[in-house]
Amino acid sequence: MLALEFPPINEVIRWKDLFPTFNKVALIGCLAALIGISIFLLAGRKNPMVAPTGVRNVAETGVEFIEDQIVMQTIGRDGLGWTPFLLTLFVFVYLCNLPGIIPVLQMPATARMAMPLFLAVIVWVIYNVVGFKHNGLSYLTGMVWPHNVPVAMRPLVGLIEFLSNIVLRPFSLAVRLFANMLAGHMLLVTFAVLSNAMLFAETKQVLLKPMTILPFFMLLFLTLFEVLVGFLQAYIFTILTAVYIGLARHPEH
Amino acid sequence: MQSVTVTLGGGGVQVVLLPGLAPAQAEEETEALEEGPSPIAPEAKELLWGIGAFVVFLVLMRLVLFPKLKKGMDARYGKIRADHEEADAVREQALREVADYQAELDTVKAEAASRVDAVRRQLDNERSGRLTEVNQQIAEQRAAAATAAEERRAAARSTVEAAVVAVTTALVERSTGRAPDAETVRRAASDVMSVGASS
Repeated sequence: MLALEFPPINEVIRWKDLFPTFNKVALIGCLAALIGISIFLLAGRKNPMVAPTGVRNVAETGVEFIEDQIVMQTIGRDGLGWTPFLLTLFVFVYLCNLPGIIPVLQMPATARMAMPLFLAVIVWVIYNVVGFKHNGLSYLTGMVWPHNVPVAMRPLVGLIEFLSNIVLRPFSLAVRLFANMLAGHMLLVTFAVLSNAMLFAETKQVLLKPMTILPFFMLLFLTLFEVLVGFLQAYIFTILTAVYIGLARHPEH
Repeated sequence: MQSVTVTLGGGGVQVVLLPGLAPAQAEEETEALEEGPSPIAPEAKELLWGIGAFVVFLVLMRLVLFPKLKKGMDARYGKIRADHEEADAVREQALREVADYQAELDTVKAEAASRVDAVRRQLDNERSGRLTEVNQQIAEQRAAAATAAEERRAAARSTVEAAVVAVTTALVERSTGRAPDAETVRRAASDVMSVGASS
């Protein structure tokens, strides 16, 4: 028999204040912004006329990734003006996801609802403002009373469209990121606690300690998997933002 | 605190959740957790710090960092495009020069070939002329030599014939005591020498 004490959920994902009103999640958010600013600041100081290396190469790869793989694929050439916002969003979300696998920090800031929520709200505000700016009031009327749908279906489709655009999109955007990162974090905690408990268990079961390799292997595998998940979630959040902005500019699509 | 019991048996690892604390203590702990904020609910301080950090990052990116980086990228891409265009122009110029050179080379080769042909024809003509001339000279010299040899042969023959006639006349005169007819001896000697020459 092995008694395993699993830490309470609040101990795993809520952090004590480092100083009043400032905790680890806030620290990660600030670090993400600072690291992002530093990368682009250092990149901008290098000679742009020579082949990019090091930090400038990283920054330019990011710019080209956002332009070619996100903006051009979703909004088109007209949307290249959104590159700074989408690049900032991608870098910030990715740098908030990454601390989940960095020793000492070991907490993705996006595994707390605050980060995904305010990002989703910002995106919601932006794509609705873009919609009204490009289409005027027809952005809203076209949403609740779609013209390319049979008249009998318009109330139902209009309601679904309204709920989808105004309520569900920000909610799904926030919850997708939050839930994925929280689930990953909980899995890492679970296998870390299990590995620790099996390794240091006071038991006469001779097979128990060698079998620690199993949860430890899972811990390593999930840590590597979280690298992919962190990138993928940042990409999904950014590309959905671009899709929503593109749809708000041209709702008929 | 919650407790989990892990049992290692023949069927594998079995995990059972157990109340790890005494009932009273657990109840107190549960109440404490329930009194705390929901782990899912967003905290105001995290929201504010997150918004602040993101907005600062966004403003700096939008106004300073991204334009500078993009300007440098555009300048480099512009230079690369200009260099490509210049390289294309230089390559086209080089191809034109190579074509011109090739055309000139072809002209020179054709001219050289025609000159070589003309010289070759001239040499052939000269050689033929010289051969004809030399053959003619050889034929003339050969004819002259043949004529001279014939003359010498005729002279030698008349000398030999006269000697034979003299010897024959002398022999006949000694043996018969009278001189033979000179004309008969000369004709006989001539006939014998003609037979000898033809055989």
